[in-house]
Amino acid sequence: MKLTRRDFIKISGTATAGLALNGMGLDLRPVEAYSWELRTRDAKETPTICCYCAVGCGIICHTDTKTGKVIYTEGDADHPINQGALCAKGASVYQLARNDERVTEVLYRAPYSSKWVAKDWDWALKKIAGNVKKSRDASFVAKDEKGRVVNRCEGIASVGSAAMDNEELWVYQAMLRALGLSSIEHQARI
Amino acid sequence: MSGKSFLIDTSACMACRSCQVACKAWNRNDGTVTRNRGSHQNPPDFDGNTFKLVRFREVRAGNKVSRYFFSDQCRHCIDAPCKDVIDSAVTGGAIQDKATGAIVYTEKSKGAPFKDVRSECPYDIPRQREDGTIVKCTMCIDRVSNGLQPACVKACPMGGLHFGDREEILARAEKRLATLKAKYPKAQLLNVETVRTIYLVVGDPKEYHKFAVASANPGVTRKVALRRMFGPAIDALRTVARG
Repeated sequence: MKLTRRDFIKISGTATAGLALNGMGLDLRPVEAYSWELRTRDAKETPTICCYCAVGCGIICHTDTKTGKVIYTEGDADHPINQGALCAKGASVYQLARNDERVTEVLYRAPYSSKWVAKDWDWALKKIAGNVKKSRDASFVAKDEKGRVVNRCEGIASVGSAAMDNEELWVYQAMLRALGLSSIEHQARI
Repeated sequence: MSGKSFLIDTSACMACRSCQVACKAWNRNDGTVTRNRGSHQNPPDFDGNTFKLVRFREVRAGNKVSRYFFSDQCRHCIDAPCKDVIDSAVTGGAIQDKATGAIVYTEKSKGAPFKDVRSECPYDIPRQREDGTIVKCTMCIDRVSNGLQPACVKACPMGGLHFGDREEILARAEKRLATLKAKYPKAQLLNVETVRTIYLVVGDPKEYHKFAVASANPGVTRKVALRRMFGPAIDALRTVARG
């Protein structure tokens, strides 16, 4: 048996005086010292912006340098808006990347069908464009009941898009106005 | 006494629960399947995957309704009864970190009697996983010992959660208490002397949560009482036996 000086003190001290001293408020039970490894220690840190609401909090995304997968996300302490803090949605943002439930391809359910079918993006964009055209042609009003020129599309509305920035939104709303939409709303007001 | 401490200022809490979510994210804890019980408190209680929980209470006094939010977590007691129970069953099942004072359970806690551990806790914190491990808040010991703030404190957008050296936290708590006293005469700090997670409440703590303050009579079991008396001798013998 090998006894270090520390062990010796521990044994002699606790075995003899320990019992008596313990009752007097001195606790001689050993308090362990451990080293704890940080699981994001070797991760690559990338600053990003939360995709949820219009506040635009800064997030640091930790990714595994080997697999490129997201390990952890947390508030960016250097970001002027949130200074490291996040709300409950922002705090859970890593689940966007690491989520078995996440939809990774275009899914289409035809009218009256009960099944989702995987489609490619080209097909989906053409389908959306076709539907927009169809709906706009059907609901376009050139003149109202009093004969005034209005040129509006009453069959389509736009709601949301918090993840878009100011410039993207300008282009987007310009497109919507060109179609004649008057029902345009942004998530910041919802 | 040194080490680290939390200050949880319930008067600043708006119950966004980002502390609760950040805790799950850092500890990689799964979600809990729950159903709507008519309360925002969700999940309804701690479980094997929930170490941090914002408790919601509505308290009516006459015509006035107060909403109390209580960001509940382990208090990291300075002299932790749960550690005594675990230690009396398995060596190394619970650790008290030297630098911070954090109480951390390990895989070995599987071997400890869960019911005793839970009933011994004056704040009803420990929970058990399906594999038998006993779990609770770790004070984010891996983050803290690497110079970071605990995940919950980092995430709090209201400045309700604070973490730091015990002296600093105590000073901050006293200062904030003095400020709040002017408006809320009932404002108080809970169990300051015995715990490292210090709550600041503005009303009757029992109205926040049944276990907001330590249960009046923790009911020390015979085993634990013995352990406290002979603990040092047992530890010494174990050290010798390990050689």
